[in-house]
Amino acid sequence: MKKTVWYSIMLIAMLVLAACSGESASAPKNSDGSKDEGPAASSETFTFATTSDAVGLSPTLTNDSMSANVIEHVYDTLFARNPETKEIEPKLAESYEIKDDLTWVFKLKEGIKFHDGTPFNAEAVKYTFDKLRDPATAAPRASLLEPVDTITVIDENTLEIKTKYPYGVFLAALSHSNAAIISPTADQAQDLMKDPVGTGPFKFVSWTPGDQVELEANEEYWNGAPALKHVVFKVVPEVSTAISMLEAGEVQFIDNLPPEQMKRLESMQNVNVEKTDGTPVYYLTFNHSKEMNQDPEFRKAVAAAIDRDAFISKLNGLGVRSDSILGPQVFGYDESADNAGSAYDLEAAKALVEKNGYGDKPIKLLTANRGTFTLMAEIVQAQLTEAGFKVEIESLEWATFLDTARSGQYDITFLSWSNVTGDGSEMFYPNFHSDNAGTSNRAQYKNPEFDKLVVESRTTIDQEEREVILDKANKLMLEDNAAVVMYHGIVTAAMDKAYTGLELDPNGKWSLTNVTGK
Amino acid sequence: MIALIVRRGIQLVFLLLGISFLVFSSMYIAPGDPATMVGGPTATESDLEAIRDNLGLNDPFLVQYGKYLKNAAQGDFGYSYQTKQTVSEAIAVRFPNTLKLAIASMIVAVIIGIFAGLISALKHNSWLDVTSTTFALAGISIPNFWLGALLILVFAVNLQWLPVGGLSDPFYTVEGLKQLVLPAITLGTGSAAMIARMARSSMLEVIKADYVRTARAKGVKERNVIWIHTLKNAMIPVITVIGLNFGFLLGGTIITEKVFAINGVGRLMIDSIAMRDFPMVQGSVLLVATLFVVVNLIVDIVYTFIDPRISYD
Repeated sequence: MKKTVWYSIMLIAMLVLAACSGESASAPKNSDGSKDEGPAASSETFTFATTSDAVGLSPTLTNDSMSANVIEHVYDTLFARNPETKEIEPKLAESYEIKDDLTWVFKLKEGIKFHDGTPFNAEAVKYTFDKLRDPATAAPRASLLEPVDTITVIDENTLEIKTKYPYGVFLAALSHSNAAIISPTADQAQDLMKDPVGTGPFKFVSWTPGDQVELEANEEYWNGAPALKHVVFKVVPEVSTAISMLEAGEVQFIDNLPPEQMKRLESMQNVNVEKTDGTPVYYLTFNHSKEMNQDPEFRKAVAAAIDRDAFISKLNGLGVRSDSILGPQVFGYDESADNAGSAYDLEAAKALVEKNGYGDKPIKLLTANRGTFTLMAEIVQAQLTEAGFKVEIESLEWATFLDTARSGQYDITFLSWSNVTGDGSEMFYPNFHSDNAGTSNRAQYKNPEFDKLVVESRTTIDQEEREVILDKANKLMLEDNAAVVMYHGIVTAAMDKAYTGLELDPNGKWSLTNVTGK
Repeated sequence: MIALIVRRGIQLVFLLLGISFLVFSSMYIAPGDPATMVGGPTATESDLEAIRDNLGLNDPFLVQYGKYLKNAAQGDFGYSYQTKQTVSEAIAVRFPNTLKLAIASMIVAVIIGIFAGLISALKHNSWLDVTSTTFALAGISIPNFWLGALLILVFAVNLQWLPVGGLSDPFYTVEGLKQLVLPAITLGTGSAAMIARMARSSMLEVIKADYVRTARAKGVKERNVIWIHTLKNAMIPVITVIGLNFGFLLGGTIITEKVFAINGVGRLMIDSIAMRDFPMVQGSVLLVATLFVVVNLIVDIVYTFIDPRISYD
């Protein structure tokens, strides 16, 4: 009997404790004592929690951001965009020269070795690029080198590449993680998808699929060995669990913070939240293949009915307001585009709806049920309804959404684009050029004048000229109300206070190379 | 007994055939194209076509299914569309974690469930009974993911007694055991509640039986009345519920593994469904189905030990 009473008390105590925790969990923690064995700066392992696993570890054969996170630490690219100046700068390359519009000569840095000891040279670069563009490889990002015609090794450290037509985005393409340089000897000896070998700051140790990838410092890194000696990329699918792990000191770093968790993260005493204006853009687009969407007044009415400021205020500071489709962090942006779209004007929208009877027919608003999309759909539905439209939301799971949007089974929808290379052409060509209508151009947008500008932006070598062309294309779309930008993303990460030196790129990527314990 | 096992084995083959057909056809008609998930957002129509060809997705349904069955019969369950890893390999890495979790949760469920049910029945209508039935009701009603998140906040973040997630250390080490506690409680609570309710009603029924009164009248010690005459006879329906709950538990691993960052088959299944990775979905569903059948076979065998009147010969 005594025992039963004792057990019951324990049970009740546990539940009471659980009930109390709701408040204390969000309150800032008084953590001096409890943090002793947590995120000590001397701790050997630095763990990053990622919501999904890498697909594979070969730059040539993958095309997803989780794989890219690992790949960017194991491999290097020839060029990289400087996050501050937005200029593309040489990385594994030493310098380059544009001989004529079709001929590029690259000088490579000397004395660099892959992790397996293979020397990094012009042959390795040729091998990598030939593999990437070989149709037999079926590389998902073969398009990066599609304009390349021939690759010739001039000497040990010099390479000449000829393109089929002037390729204005070439350097941006070479800064893409899928164009990172692989070790030819390793690629022939083993499967780089499972056992990667590059020249990067970290060497591959092991990968337990679904669980974690382990890396160690490359002590011979050409740009100085990283301070972190042992890094783990751990799969934690539930973001609130990852945040708890960060708070408890089980992981040291997470990225891509959801807006609804910002308050909790910012109140955590052992964590620094890092933010930087980013390249991702979130926009409402019309299905331009539908007759009703071809009516400019209809698009104008929709654009005028959406109060973007009101929506952004719900993002807990994680959104930048601008009409421009190319965001402030993207090459080709000009601040004159900030207010070049149709401004919010409820009365004007109401008048247009009334005049043309837009409210008679229901509009299907398609949305993916993840991230901020659901919130966007709900708010925009309410705003459009206020203007007199009749809007029905169809919310779909990601894979189904992608297919439904691709095949154009919607009236309006929300899309986003993270823009890894940070170049305007890389936003416009896949998403709005008529070449890609029905595939990556889910808006089914076809505008010959716009197409011409986009092609020009891709085939002009002079970067200043390109900027002007991209701005023109941008404004053309805005005048047309072809898409309504909801917000530009702010990229985020949270790191244990015991560490500093994180480099957070506007495209959402980050580097642990210069992270050190305090 | 041997005949029972053989019979069940044969039934299992047909059952798996049926399940594989169901899974295969539902994935086939489900919206969402695996090629889109492999090719990524920038894939062109010709890229997608090449991927479909490569994965054999352009074949007619019956040809695809036939190929799958033929390979599966030879022990080849295909490979992941996404990672190109073989299904058997991927499952082999994850299955031990799921099994550990399922067994630990079952232990939690059985201990708490039978104990609570027993007390309720013996102290029928007392405050102990009321408390225990209330908790049983709560246990059934509380969603897994909520309980998991709550336990993490209390015991891992605030009190820091236990780790938040992961299940990487062997279960016989202190670290490994600590990692198991929260997920096992999260997953086991629902089953514990169901077992408690069944144990309670079953005990109450048996306790009123004539032979129990006879035993008491003969002057048998109360302890023996409970443990020998009552409990054993009350256990048959409880064990049935335990067996059935095992299936419920395997379903629950999907959420529990996600919340606690456990690399298991449940998570593999849900991730594969989201990525339209058909071979992975098929492989993990078949594994779970087999497990369910095997556990229920064990339950049937256990009956014969508890109640000698039950015999399969």
